Amino acid sequence: MKKLFKEFFKGIGSENPIFRLVLGLCPALAVSTSVVNGLGMGIAATFVLLGSNIIISLIRKFIPDQIRIPCFIVIIATFVTIVELAMKAYAPELSKALGIFVPLIVVNCIVLGRAEAFACKEDVLASMLDALGMGVGFTFALLLISAIRELLGNGTFLGFLILKNFDPILYFMLAPGALLVIGLLIGGINFLSSKRRSA
Amino acid sequence: MDLAMFLSVIIGAIFVNNFILSKFLGLCSFIGISKETKPAIYMGISVTFVTTCASIITWAIYNFILVPFHIEYLRTISFILVIASFVQLVEIVIKKFSQALYRTLGIYLPLITVNCAVLGVAVLNSEMFFKRGINTLTSFTMSALQGFCVGLGYILVMLFMSGIRERLELCDIPKSFKDAPIAFIIASLMSMAFMGFSGFRF
Amino acid sequence: MSKLTVSPSPHIKSSQTTNKIMWAVVISLIPAGIAGVYIFGISSLNVIAFSILSCIFTEALFLKLRNKDPKAVLDGSAVLTGLLLAYNLPPQTPFWIPIVGGMISIALGKQIFGGLGQNIFNPALVGRAFLQISWPVYMTAWKNPRWWPDAISGATPLAKKASVHFSYMDLFLGNRPGSLGEVCVIALLIGVAFLLVTKIISLRVPLSYIGTVGIITWVFGKEGFFKGDFIFNILAGGIILGAFFMATDYVTSPLTKKGKIVFGIGCGVLTAIIRLRGGYPEGVCYSILFMNAAVPIIDRFTKTKKYGFIKK
Repeated sequence: MKKLFKEFFKGIGSENPIFRLVLGLCPALAVSTSVVNGLGMGIAATFVLLGSNIIISLIRKFIPDQIRIPCFIVIIATFVTIVELAMKAYAPELSKALGIFVPLIVVNCIVLGRAEAFACKEDVLASMLDALGMGVGFTFALLLISAIRELLGNGTFLGFLILKNFDPILYFMLAPGALLVIGLLIGGINFLSSKRRSA
Repeated sequence: MDLAMFLSVIIGAIFVNNFILSKFLGLCSFIGISKETKPAIYMGISVTFVTTCASIITWAIYNFILVPFHIEYLRTISFILVIASFVQLVEIVIKKFSQALYRTLGIYLPLITVNCAVLGVAVLNSEMFFKRGINTLTSFTMSALQGFCVGLGYILVMLFMSGIRERLELCDIPKSFKDAPIAFIIASLMSMAFMGFSGFRF
Repeated sequence: MSKLTVSPSPHIKSSQTTNKIMWAVVISLIPAGIAGVYIFGISSLNVIAFSILSCIFTEALFLKLRNKDPKAVLDGSAVLTGLLLAYNLPPQTPFWIPIVGGMISIALGKQIFGGLGQNIFNPALVGRAFLQISWPVYMTAWKNPRWWPDAISGATPLAKKASVHFSYMDLFLGNRPGSLGEVCVIALLIGVAFLLVTKIISLRVPLSYIGTVGIITWVFGKEGFFKGDFIFNILAGGIILGAFFMATDYVTSPLTKKGKIVFGIGCGVLTAIIRLRGGYPEGVCYSILFMNAAVPIIDRFTKTKKYGFIKK
């Protein structure tokens, strides 16, 4: 039981995909202009992670080793297509805002990485918790980045005006701002953890 | 051929909408492999080769299979499968015919399968050049051109970044910001410089 | 002063020399500042003061955070960055624009890389581009010279829909709206003469830069093929300020002679393209930043010659 908890929480903290492993950056940066977009992308990616991890873990004994990567990709792509179609039908606005980054979840290194490193070796329950932990960690990181960008770049949070009499810093709404925020965040986290270690 | 459209695709793919700096595609490999110039260039060349070929192949699939049969929703699956098998094929061919080339490029090829830039350019082509009113010939040329120029843009940024990071070895950067964080900050400043090209008109 | 050596990084210079160079460049910029204050009035002085103070404060803060010698704040580099930043701003801005700009310049442009001599991009231009992208409205609110009838104008001579005609003399003396320190070409040239006499800058970068812009705007100018008004294009905008004072920065420009020329031509091509075809009316800032990113690569490909190897 303890081990399962560990599988869940490592994705949020010590092995956070974005801040620690520096994986899955394209969507994290491209869609994080607003909290709503970030949340949508986070949930979509979590769903794909969960689905593909479960299936891969279930059939892991039947996949020949040589062609495992193509098999993983097909399974992942199936779930991505499900998300793509569902999003187009039920959240067309979000689908438009996320654009080509929804199909690109297929090549999100986190998803394939978890399939290769975890789901094809472990049982279903552990893989599920691993996927959930990674997904939550990813979503959390996205929320953090998009909250900073939306607040500084637009003065709002979830669309509500927070900072009044504030000239929004457009830089954070544009591409360079995303790179800057993630650079400073990773640097800051490194700094904090090095401090904790030495203390 | 419409020269203005031609030029705007070239400038657009290399500078204005540079895949790494403004679309964040291929960012993982960009941060990972840009520590030294030589690997960075080889990676860039491999990516350019694959994006160009992948653009052509996925164009054919989209144009001759997906669109006529109205199964565009299979785009993601079919594209990624084709790209993955193509990369595999290239790897086998290179291994067979040139050991020297395989030793230099071999390790980069598997990485390219999951490089978002390749799938990204294929998806982007299918969204940009398959609107009503663009004929088949134009969409083919433009797709291939865009695939090639995206690769060129990738090489350009990889080259700059690897040069800068080699120089950074000698700099007194705060400890917490070494490696990935400073690379992101430099990418941010480069992206800012590239924004000078926004709003190009021909 | 005559024994300056410029060598590939890492730069180990005695602080004495660095200080002298920095302060000499600051001095050479003073005439242009006086001209700016005279042309646009007291608001320009505020911009300069806020910008320099902000740079010095940020520099001191970083030196303290990283346990370095606080006296380094007086090496002149922070003052120079602040001054150059101010010269690239409109003469009248909200007071916090130069303050934020100064903080960004020093923090992101310089100190994050380890401080003096280690930055990749020109700090002042990092600050200016950040401001331009973040608050385009304030950064394009140009002020007219004091003696013009209406105080606020919409356009510099380079604007795509410029309505007022400027004679070469207007441009040369600075009788035009524009950035604080770029407008008065004659004042800038006085500073350039000082820097040339003291051998602080060489002409390779500025001449190849200005020459390239001149040729391209002459050949492809909007007046027609081989009929472009290249004198106008050189005098208007920030090329003189950029080419002589910012593209020549030791740290962020190539070290080899050939590299310097490549760097200048690159800046020139980009500036001309942005001016002729780009969305912005002026491209000096972005061009120099772009070429700054290319400097390590330029150095790499031009340095072999230095050792006297003959390629076989």
